[in-house]
Amino acid sequence: MLSFLRIQGAVASAGQLRILATKTASNVTSSRRCESTKSPATEHFDIIIGGGGLVGTTLAAALARNATLADKRVLLLEGAPEFKGFDPAGAYQNRVSAINSNSIELFKSIDAWPHIEGARYKPVKQMQVWESNTEALIQFQHDNFASDVACIIENDLILDAVYARVKEATNVEILNKARIQSVRLPKDNSAALSELQLQDGRSFSCDLLIGADGANSVVRKEMNVDVFSLNYNRMGLVATLELGEDACDNSVAWQRFLPNGPVALLPLTDRLSSLVWSTTNEQAKKLQSLPADEFVDALNEAFCRQYPRVELADKAVQALNSLFGHNSSQHQVQYPPRVIGVQDKSRATFPLGFLHASSYVCSGAALVGDAAHRVHPLAGQGVNLGFSDVRILVESLAAGAYAGFKLGDKQHLIKYERKCLAKNVPIMLGVHGLHTIYSTQFSPVVMLRSLGLQLTQNLPPIKNMFMRGAMGQ
Amino acid sequence: MLRNTFFATARLRQPVAGVLAQSFPRNSSTTTTTLDAGTEKEVRHHESQASDWWNQNGSMGALHALNEIRVPFIRDGIVSRGTVEPGYVNTTKVLKGQRILEVGCGGGLLTEQLARLGAQVTGIDLGEKLIDAARDHLNSCSPELASNVVYKIEPVDQHAKGNCECYDSVIVSEVLEHVEDKIGLLEASVRTLKPGGSIFITTLNQTIPSWFCGVILSEYVLNLVPKGTHHWDKMISPLDVQRILDTMNCQTVLVNGSTYDFWSNTWRWINNTQMCYALQAVKNKNA
Repeated sequence: MLSFLRIQGAVASAGQLRILATKTASNVTSSRRCESTKSPATEHFDIIIGGGGLVGTTLAAALARNATLADKRVLLLEGAPEFKGFDPAGAYQNRVSAINSNSIELFKSIDAWPHIEGARYKPVKQMQVWESNTEALIQFQHDNFASDVACIIENDLILDAVYARVKEATNVEILNKARIQSVRLPKDNSAALSELQLQDGRSFSCDLLIGADGANSVVRKEMNVDVFSLNYNRMGLVATLELGEDACDNSVAWQRFLPNGPVALLPLTDRLSSLVWSTTNEQAKKLQSLPADEFVDALNEAFCRQYPRVELADKAVQALNSLFGHNSSQHQVQYPPRVIGVQDKSRATFPLGFLHASSYVCSGAALVGDAAHRVHPLAGQGVNLGFSDVRILVESLAAGAYAGFKLGDKQHLIKYERKCLAKNVPIMLGVHGLHTIYSTQFSPVVMLRSLGLQLTQNLPPIKNMFMRGAMGQ
Repeated sequence: MLRNTFFATARLRQPVAGVLAQSFPRNSSTTTTTLDAGTEKEVRHHESQASDWWNQNGSMGALHALNEIRVPFIRDGIVSRGTVEPGYVNTTKVLKGQRILEVGCGGGLLTEQLARLGAQVTGIDLGEKLIDAARDHLNSCSPELASNVVYKIEPVDQHAKGNCECYDSVIVSEVLEHVEDKIGLLEASVRTLKPGGSIFITTLNQTIPSWFCGVILSEYVLNLVPKGTHHWDKMISPLDVQRILDTMNCQTVLVNGSTYDFWSNTWRWINNTQMCYALQAVKNKNA
């Protein structure tokens, strides 16, 4: 059966090649002719996804899964060699993601969730966020712990789960070690196809090219969209940590805003947590090179050390709490479990920045994930926004195809962009705003942010609103 | 209400007009069609837009956008009649095997999109330049649809002579408001329809809001449409269309109101038919 389908695919591609050949032949521009003689073996796909990371691979799986798009041929291009797979019995990875319920819904819809569930993941029941300059703190939990705030899942496990779905699919092909050399888009001429050439000389054409190739997207550059980007001059330091006896069931995610940036502990198991420490470039480098025991000391100090308080802000927070009839003991900061060790070679750093493309689509191309937007990891939103793009894009493409639109038609792609912008922009502004107001020690700002945080903690409707936003609902 | 006044049909320009049915059979069999002055004017008016027809950002932007709602309306209307093979529903071959006549197809915006869903579509229009534009686009941009689409320069009554009761659906989209002899056009269209088949009509209502938005605002205030595109006296209310179709043994099964937001170039369904509407009627089998 499988081989039969493959043969069908080959026939279709031959047919499309013929069409392409007549097209190039009828084209009178000499430059095109040069191109077509240089690379006569241009293969056509309906959709090409540039970038086989978490978001790109998930998109391929979701496209393959969609009943309306089942007759579309999809090619997934990935620069890295073939994915090695994931060993659920092996050591924990240092790159993990906090996956919200919206993303979990997506995994369920493409049948990848049982794979993850059968391996390993850690549900987060509660989240505590507090800061260094005042007593203000906020705790998030869902309906008295009835459901999870988020799940901490290793990136490689997610990739393994969606990769398995892609491999099952008969209409998706994967090309590894495929780096995009150049891209040519039809722009506003609905006639032409999107074309791309790989570094090894192979060339492809497609109705729709999807850029899932990260913050330095080649596809985005060719789309000629305006990009707003900021370098935070901060690095994120990740590591896998061993916890002491006081960890209990370790189901709380902790985040403390320090003057240099937030430090967060995300639970992996009862005795292991993953670290995301955002700080200045110098401190990050220094922390990365410290001996393990000194690093652990620095980390415990980061969570517990008393920083100089802003007294006025402290008083304001106390006044606010008494206004709501709480005494301060109810708002005592709980401290995270003690870190007792860091796993060998698990420390790594990555740069932090903000990026947003002015437009996600043009004729013949669309952007998803980090290619379109990149945020600070402090709210764990980055990859979740990418998965939400995937959901919206697949829905939009299916609706467009079912209404007879060409896949690359900007007329219906624009709907994907509108839905995404409505969802992404508020979250991105929120995350960027949090980063900005927490990177200062200017006392009026400290007071206002503390009051804001405390007010949110004391007013459940507001708190729930933020939580729903973060959970992608 | 204020919102409603703004849901102008602003940039909408209707495809052709001039598929005017001649009420009396012509005695000559020549293909050259003699048009009356009003029809001639409408055809020329639309032909002047032929080169810009497929430009999404051009003067036909609103018509491109209309496909977002009229294709699903027609598709779901056909599916609801139960003539689509269940296996095709929800796939891009949903209209496979359906024979569709599009009266006043213009540059073929709707024609190609229906063909992409698998339908066999015949598009007829009186504007030679429009049909040329439609054929050019089909050959250069959508050659894969060549076997699904036929374009003809022909008035509908002439087409009906040789194609009696041979279409599963007939579409008269954004045409009726440019035609004087609506009864003649609808009568000829219905004649080409198989018993049990559907006729789909989209057009402007004849109301104060549609006059204010469709003519005054879009043509004289916002200058989105060249003056003289729409004429209030040629617009027709859904009830009148329904009455005409009733006399032709067609039962109206659906009337949806729609409106256009010019600031976002999108169409959407609304609860009233004060501005524009889409109508589906089914030809009775026991004629």
